[in-house]
Amino acid sequence: MIITGSRESPLLVYITALIALMLTLMPLPRSLGVLWPNLLVLVIIYWSMMMPRAGGILIGFLGGLAIDVFVGSQLGQHALALSLLCYLGIRLHLLVRAKPLFEQALFVLAALLIYEGVLWAIDGFSNQSTGTWTRWLHSFTGAAIWPLVAGLLGRLHSPR
Amino acid sequence: MAFAGGGLNSPSARDTAPGPRFFVFAVLSILLMYFDQRDGWSQRIRYVLQGAAYPVQVAVGSPRLLWNSTVDLFSTRATLRRENTELKARERELSLTAMRFAALEQENARLRGLANGLPPLVKRSQLADVVSADLSSQRQRLVIDQGDRAGLYRSQAIVDATGLVGQLVRVGPWSAEVMLISDPGHAVPVEILRNGVRTVAEGTGNEDEMRLSLLPATADVKAGDTLVTSGLGGVFPAGIPVGTVVEAVRDPDDILARVRVRPRASLARDRQVMALWFNPESPMAPVDSALVRELPEAPLARPVLEPPSPATKVTKP
Repeated sequence: MIITGSRESPLLVYITALIALMLTLMPLPRSLGVLWPNLLVLVIIYWSMMMPRAGGILIGFLGGLAIDVFVGSQLGQHALALSLLCYLGIRLHLLVRAKPLFEQALFVLAALLIYEGVLWAIDGFSNQSTGTWTRWLHSFTGAAIWPLVAGLLGRLHSPR
Repeated sequence: MAFAGGGLNSPSARDTAPGPRFFVFAVLSILLMYFDQRDGWSQRIRYVLQGAAYPVQVAVGSPRLLWNSTVDLFSTRATLRRENTELKARERELSLTAMRFAALEQENARLRGLANGLPPLVKRSQLADVVSADLSSQRQRLVIDQGDRAGLYRSQAIVDATGLVGQLVRVGPWSAEVMLISDPGHAVPVEILRNGVRTVAEGTGNEDEMRLSLLPATADVKAGDTLVTSGLGGVFPAGIPVGTVVEAVRDPDDILARVRVRPRASLARDRQVMALWFNPESPMAPVDSALVRELPEAPLARPVLEPPSPATKVTKP
């Protein structure tokens, strides 16, 4: 449970997720806000692949619930989408983490599109505004900065 | 479990079972969504979470506040003096208007056959600082630093010095969330001040623009018209400035006019807003605000799809 001691430390996962949540919620000008990646989702994908036992699906659920509260969407909407990504990350972690960063970024792109797709579907089912096409843009910027996120987070835990 | 048999991804016993756990969390999420739609006990969970979220919201909004106060710190004596003279001029102007307003109110009361003057519309007001702002194309919200503890309630009207800002959609213990009139999910019943034509102004997801999407092409509306709240819909009182018509386009092929409106309040730049409590005896007031509070789901302003019948008038005889 201590950052330096064990290989999978939940504390590290929760702290980085909290920081990522704050960066994600930062108020930004309109043009930048559309492109701003959801860093919390990226961080949670990373940890679910690198430390599948530290956060588990719980971190995805809690992180999604936090987004729901801050963004004001229905409780459970982001929680469901992010739990799904966590599940996929844990299921495929051995497959994906062996790949070079570029190929990982493609997996991440697919994951982010699934994430936004789930949100979009729930918006549609519950008769809410499904937004414009710009809501999908953050998936692409998210995948584009994946190498950066993976590099930064990789320094925080000892290499395998 | 059917998910658990992966050949490639089964290095240890614990890793092989994300399926059942995912199933549990998925069911939990769906239950939450289901109850959140129905407005039951999940409101209490919301309330607690809203309180827990407040510190993070303050932290997230702090760079903006820091920037604002830095700008304040460096404002020079000259700008302050200029601002002061401007404010004094404005104050003179306003006190003149207020004088006329008092006379008009007296006359209005006399015309209505009331012996004593009308009760004031606003019973109480509460200033609140904007803690953080979420101004995206899907959501236009502000978080303010007053909540349930200050007596704020859901679907309360929020204004700033210039006009209507929005209404409260969520109230936590120390904070509340304002849905701006420019939110794509928001619609406010308005009337054109010049001729009393009633319609609905919808948000577009852009804090500088709203739209009147239910006006027929033959409606009498032109650029420069001022819109005020009509008092219908039970959330806002009548007569609060909403915005100015920027452009009214009439396409001969289209039954409806395309009207763009610029909100009067500076929605994105507000640092302080005001929550209002209305006097239910005032003829301008929306339905009794205590009544709104007791409704399980407070009525958000929804587009009125047919012209209001005379019976739905808010004005009391």
